[in-house]
Order: sequence, then C-alpha cells, then structure tokens
Amino acid sequence: MASSEPILKVDEVKKWFPVRSGLFSFGKPSRYVKAVDNVSFEIKKGASLAIAGESGCGKTTLARTILRLIEPSGGAAYYKGENIFEMNRLQLSELRLQMQLIFQNPFEVLDPRHTVLDLVGEGLNIHRIEESDEVLHDRVISALEDVRLIPAEDFATRYTHELSGGQLQRIAIARSLILKPDLIIADEPVSMLDASIRTEVMNLMTDLQKEKDLTYIFITHDLAQARYVGDYLIIMYLGRIAEMGPMEDVIHKPQHPYTKALVSNIPIPDPTVKRERIMLPGETPTPIDLPPGCRFKPRCQEFGPQCREEEPQLQEVAPGHFVACWID
Amino acid sequence: MATHDPVLQVEDLATYYYLGDRELKAVDGVSFSIDAKRTLGLAGESGCGKTTTAYSLMRILAENGKITRGSINLGGIELTTLSEEEMRKLRWKKASIVFQYAMNAFNPVLRIGRQIVEVIREKGDYSKEEAVNIVSELFDEVGLKPERQTDYPHEFSGGMLQRAIIAQALACDPQLIIADEPVTALDVIVQNKILDLLRKLQEKYNLAVLFITHDLSVVAENCHDVGIMYAGNLVEVGNVEAVFKRSLHPYSYKLIGAFPSVVGPKKRLEFIPGTPPNLMNLPKGCRFHPRCPFATAKCATDVPEFREIHDGHFAKCHYAGELDLGGGA
Repeated sequence: MASSEPILKVDEVKKWFPVRSGLFSFGKPSRYVKAVDNVSFEIKKGASLAIAGESGCGKTTLARTILRLIEPSGGAAYYKGENIFEMNRLQLSELRLQMQLIFQNPFEVLDPRHTVLDLVGEGLNIHRIEESDEVLHDRVISALEDVRLIPAEDFATRYTHELSGGQLQRIAIARSLILKPDLIIADEPVSMLDASIRTEVMNLMTDLQKEKDLTYIFITHDLAQARYVGDYLIIMYLGRIAEMGPMEDVIHKPQHPYTKALVSNIPIPDPTVKRERIMLPGETPTPIDLPPGCRFKPRCQEFGPQCREEEPQLQEVAPGHFVACWID
Repeated sequence: MATHDPVLQVEDLATYYYLGDRELKAVDGVSFSIDAKRTLGLAGESGCGKTTTAYSLMRILAENGKITRGSINLGGIELTTLSEEEMRKLRWKKASIVFQYAMNAFNPVLRIGRQIVEVIREKGDYSKEEAVNIVSELFDEVGLKPERQTDYPHEFSGGMLQRAIIAQALACDPQLIIADEPVTALDVIVQNKILDLLRKLQEKYNLAVLFITHDLSVVAENCHDVGIMYAGNLVEVGNVEAVFKRSLHPYSYKLIGAFPSVVGPKKRLEFIPGTPPNLMNLPKGCRFHPRCPFATAKCATDVPEFREIHDGHFAKCHYAGELDLGGGA
C-alpha cells in the first residue's frame, strides 16, 4: 500500500487572480484571470513529471500555488497525505525542506556579494539546522561534489561573477540538494543556458534523480526538453490540463487537438525529417471571461456541438493517458 | 558556382571591441556569402560573435567596437569604407534588421503605422498619403489588418508586433534582411507562423536572409545554409543537410548532437565539456582545441585554415574530412 501512495496529489487546485477593476465597475460582478482552474494530478515517488505549455498556460502559477508561495483559491494538494493548503507556518517551513524549487534564472537567484560557500549553506542557516561550522562546510563541499563542481574546495571560495551560467545553475541545484529534499520543482531550469550546457545540466539532473531517489516536477515550454527529462507529461492550456499521460504516449500519440498542434510545431534538429505542421488560428488569449464550453474551442479545428456547451473533463483513453476533449 | 553575384559577400571580417587598452576579438576572420532567395542561419552559443557579425554588417556597433579588417560587399557596394552618412542612407533601403524583442522595437507612445511611415518618408520621396498606402499594403502582406496601423504597440500581441516589424523591415524594399533571433521570444506555434511568413516574403521579394539564432532545430527547419560560429570564428559553413548529416568540424558535430528532439528514439545526449574561451585570452592554435576530443599537438600551435572540403562546404579544422564524425544525428 505505502509504495503506491503518491508523494504529491493535487486535487482540483484553483488560482484565480482578481482583475483590478476601474472606478465605474463598482457593483458589477468581479472578474478573474483563471490562471489555474481545477487542476488535478498525482506523482509517485521517484517519478519525473514534465508540465509543458505555452506562456500564460498557468504552469508556473501551478508550481507556486502547490508550494504555497502564493495562496490558492481552492482545491487541495497533499504531500505524503498531508494537505499543504491547511498547513500552518511551522509545517510549511518543514515542508519546504522536503520540496525545493529551482528557478529559471540563476543570475537573479544568487546574491553576487556572497561566496559559493555561503550561498549553498544559506538554506541550512535559514532552516536553523544546528550544525557546527565544520559540519556545515563539509555538507556544502559534498553538495558541490554532487553537482560535479570539482575541486569543490576551490569553487566554495568563489563569487558568482567568477562562474559561468551552467555552473551557477549547478550551484542553484546544490542549494536545493543540501537540504536533502524528496521533491524538486524545477521551473524552466535550463532555458537560460546554451545548448551544450543545457544538456550537461539536464544529464546531471537525471543522474542525481537516480542517485538520490528524487522526484521531479519539471516545468518547461519546450517539449523536446520535457521529453528528455520526464517520463510523464502534462500539457496545459489556459489554466487547465488538456492532456496527460506517459511521455512517449503523449508525444507520439497525442489525442487532444492542442497537443497535436503543439507537438507538430516543435522544431526538429534534423533537416531530413519532414513533417506536416498543424497550424492553429490566432494566439493564446488571456484566461479572463472564457467562453462557455471548451476553452480551446475558439482555436480548435475539429470542434462539434458539444464543445460549445460544456467544459470537457479528463477521460482515460489508454492506461494512464487522459484527455480533456469531446471529440473521439 | 560563381555564375551570378551573391547579394551579400563577407570576406575575412574581423570586429574587435576595445576595453581600455585591451582588445576583445569578438569576430575574427569570418567569410560567407548569401544569394537572393537563400537563407543562411548563423548559429552558435552566446558570445560566439553571431550578433556582432550582424551589427558589423549594419554598422551599428557599440562605440568601442571597430571593424578592423575584411570586406562586406552588399549588392556591389563595399560597406566597410562608406562614411557614416552614406551608410545611414543605405540602412533599411539595402538591408534591414529585425531584432529579437519585438516589444522593444517600437516607441510605445506613437502609433505603429506612423513609425513605419516615418521610415518610408525618411528613405524615399513620398507624400504622407502615399506612405500610409504603402503601410496598408505592407500590413496586408504580413497578415495584419491595414486599419490596425493606427494602434499603439501595447494593443498588439507578440506575434502581431513581430509581423509589424517585418512590415517595417520590408518598407524600403531591401535586398537583405538580417533577422537576429526573430522568434526566440515567441511560443512555438506563433514562431512557425512568423517563419512561414518570412519564407513567403523572401520568395516574393527575392530577399537574401541572414538568420541569427542559438537554436539549431530552428535552423534545420528554416534555413538553406548554415554557418556555425565558435569564439569569434566561423568554423563550418555549408548547406543544412551537409552540415547536420556530414559535419566536418568537431564543434558543429558536438553542438548538433546536444539538441534533444521529439522524434526518434529517446537517448542520452552528449555535451561538450568545458566552456568557450575568454575572448580576451584566446588559446593558441585552434580556438576549440582545449575542448576537442580529436585535438593533436598541431591543433595547439597552428591556426587551422578555413577551407572548402566539399563543394560549398567549408570548415576551419586541420582534420576536416579526415575525422570520422558520422552524422549529426
């Protein structure tokens, strides 16, 4: 029983941002940007889940809501059976030791006035994990070795301006690892990096996952990256899950018209591969005042009468593969 | 090959930046040419000199940047020796540039149409009405409603702004368009729409396009030829299929191999250990030799020549054509 229990279970999570209204909208009903709208999924320990979608689809808001960096508007998220949304400050602080977030831009995350030793050890200090200076130093060194910054003693004394982008992102990863987390949420962790360094960091993350038995949620706009690091994929569109399932299933047999279009538009680094691209009219709108029915309908090429009336729910089409679409 | 003249011919171009008394060799000996209706993708990692190459062509370098040697021939005109004033007259008319951040390219407090009208009237002898009509035609051409020219930039989405910028780039009927990461900030579907549009316009107006990007997947799908840059050098040039499938330079081969794909079997990719060199303190010999798995003693001392190995396929490596690199895939 215990082994099949998901490490994280997200249940109908909502995050609605009120739209700031003008002076004359007094008395009118409030409007909301439904950035995350009834999202449910779960992730097993040791799995690697990729959440993908275009800008504005709510993938980052979802991650922040789960970590309660922003307050949810509804739903529940259970970490090892405990509802994160009902935790008090103390419990949240405990939780954040186990659930770590890695950001996109390491240049902004790391304070240039601190040495690598201070930056990597910062989390231990913040969480008041009682350690002597020597033990702290040793833990930092071993975290740096984990992310292959060798010789670690040398890197520990450096400042951020002495390091490259790839090295900085590895320091950001070391900062998380030192707290011995179970779950790492990485929000576009390699998007700022050059191709070769990007691959180096993604390989490192994959290796660390095996070594440390980590669970990953990897947020990205790039399906090629998602496929490289993830074994399970969620495609979001305007705050909702359009499709989710085992990675290769979703990439090779996409069912939702949006996923089909998205996959067909990912550029392939091989000039001899020719594919049919599915083009969608228009651009992704903002999720304010969505029309009734399916939110993808205005751009969908395949829609039928039912799409106008009711929002489609996720249906299982193959083992573990879910699609929110009325069209079969 | 040389039955006609290419639109753009760059020969041994070198551009250095000066920081105090120190010299930063951002572009050092780059040669390539582009014909009408052809797109050359210039790719490489950050700091390899691809944007400096573009800025050199347009002569819009920062104050401390100087073209120190080489020639740039655009439609029969040598650009490196023109005066600032002569160059100013040529920009937009002979060559225009499309920048990465569409949202920053227009003045936010002026209507978009007016800003394009300004360019047209500055460069040609048109009345205001004529210029407005040209803008209407251009908008129609790039898939924007002509009545939207009275909108302000914030009323446009990212894709629409990029279209407006392309309209502006076409306004004075140039022969060459330099597109510096034109779609990097856009989502993939919109990205492909813009790229399709560029291709259509290229065909219609006989444009030569220099396409600058860090993303080799985009190059593979959208360019006829590709040039790979490393530490200020152009290390390989050729048509995309040759460069991707029969790479001659170890760097191109490794870089192409570092890109994940959504097709084909999922496999572990290799990366290139180490980082590109400091441009103020370049290694002797081949600039790639400290990171090259095939490097020999010769590579550490002798600078390799940039030479044609197969028809139209050039590389800057002592062992180009002899190394067994297989293919990029």
